[in-house]
Amino acid sequence: MGNIESTAAALNLVALYAAAGVIFAILFLLFGITRIDNGAKGAGLGFRLLILPGLIALWPLMLIRWLSGGQPHG
Amino acid sequence: MAATYKPVLWNAHKRIYDTILIAGIVAYLAIFIAVGYATADSANTSLEILTISALGACAFFMLHIVLAIGPLARLSPKFLPLLYNRRHLGVALFVVAASHAIFGTIWYHGYGVINPIVSLFVSNPRYDAIGAFPFESLGVIALVILFLMAATSHDFWLNNLSPAVWKTLHMLIYPAYGSVVLHVLLGAASGHGGSPLYVWAVAAGFAIIVGLHITAGIAQSGRDAATRRNLDGDWIDAGTVADIPEKRARRITTPSGHQIAIFKYDGKVAAISNVCAHQMGPLAEGCIKDGLVTCPWHGWQYDPATGRSPAPYTEKVETFAVRVKDGRVFVAAKPNPKGAAATPAAIG
Ligand code: HEM
Ligand code: FES
Repeated sequence: MGNIESTAAALNLVALYAAAGVIFAILFLLFGITRIDNGAKGAGLGFRLLILPGLIALWPLMLIRWLSGGQPHG
Repeated sequence: MAATYKPVLWNAHKRIYDTILIAGIVAYLAIFIAVGYATADSANTSLEILTISALGACAFFMLHIVLAIGPLARLSPKFLPLLYNRRHLGVALFVVAASHAIFGTIWYHGYGVINPIVSLFVSNPRYDAIGAFPFESLGVIALVILFLMAATSHDFWLNNLSPAVWKTLHMLIYPAYGSVVLHVLLGAASGHGGSPLYVWAVAAGFAIIVGLHITAGIAQSGRDAATRRNLDGDWIDAGTVADIPEKRARRITTPSGHQIAIFKYDGKVAAISNVCAHQMGPLAEGCIKDGLVTCPWHGWQYDPATGRSPAPYTEKVETFAVRVKDGRVFVAAKPNPKGAAATPAAIG
């Protein structure tokens, strides 16, 4: 810390992670979500927008879940 | 219970609660700014700084409420409605804290030559000196945690994050609180925030939060010890029927560690495991709706006499034999298998 270059570089990494999250979230909301969660079938745009920030932040967790096919629940 | 997701499940109670919540936030900010403006020595107080302070103080106050709800609900069921609605409180807390952070960043770092967010971390690089510690970094840590909690508060996340991840995210509220306390104290130490009253307010808040957690812990271990004393062979004396509110439950813990929810409804008592099959929600904090035990967390339901979810669902929890004698409830210390019928006891 205390160094402009290294702080800027760290923040760029964060931005990169979030950008990857945005791309993931779009693909996931279009194609993935109804496969891993029945509750999302027929759910609207409002619901998708509400979970969007979380998808961008936690995308690696949801990628793993998508790849493993999701667990049935409820 | 796969029902199609809705953005928000509104009902009359939540509307009232949200109205009070928003009115409370607006009133808090207005009073804070008005009092600050009236009492300030005008030379070094601007409306901008007052707004930043008001938003920060409001978020900090809300954080105390969030932290107090858990132990309060364990001490008295009167506070349960707050527990059920804390999602909206959490999201509102994040919005207020984020506004504080955004204004603070723009005001103190937005007019320089380097990117304001980079400036936030580097403009005061003295992590070794208390009086000049970059207290804002601690605010960032807290804000990230509040964001993660708010962003994952929809039911979708409860269903799709593993219980371990979910629990970890929620326990992070304590480190978030610690960061904010340091953020405020170190901010005050480096000449922000003004009045020494602040330090006392922070200390008082800390004492209240710690005191509530300890009190709730002692009360619970007292109840558990009483349960152990009341063990009579294979039956546990779980107290009087009259003390259980209609359509609600009392929770007890058996000596072997099983948590039991004992429900009273329609002139009967029945006992099932306290642990919801969905994500281990506390069924004893739920209520009976349409004759079914309804989990307070996401509304999964169980027949109190069989521990089974109504068709077409297939979830099961353990049941416990119960009997009522002289107005007292006795419950078996050992559970029946999941989904095994146990006849509810008629209230004498
Ligand atoms: C990115 C995150 C954050 C930044 C950049 C930030 C920035 C600041 C700044 C610049 C001040 C000093 C204001 C002044 O000069 O009077 C301050 C004070 C304060 N902040 Fe934050 N903050 C952040 C997060 C938080 C969070 C998450 C909370 C609470 C939940 C919080 C609560 C407070 C409080 C209670 C004060 C003292 C108010 C006062 O000075 O009168 N802050 N913050
Ligand atoms: S824990 Fe989710 S419904 Fe009970």
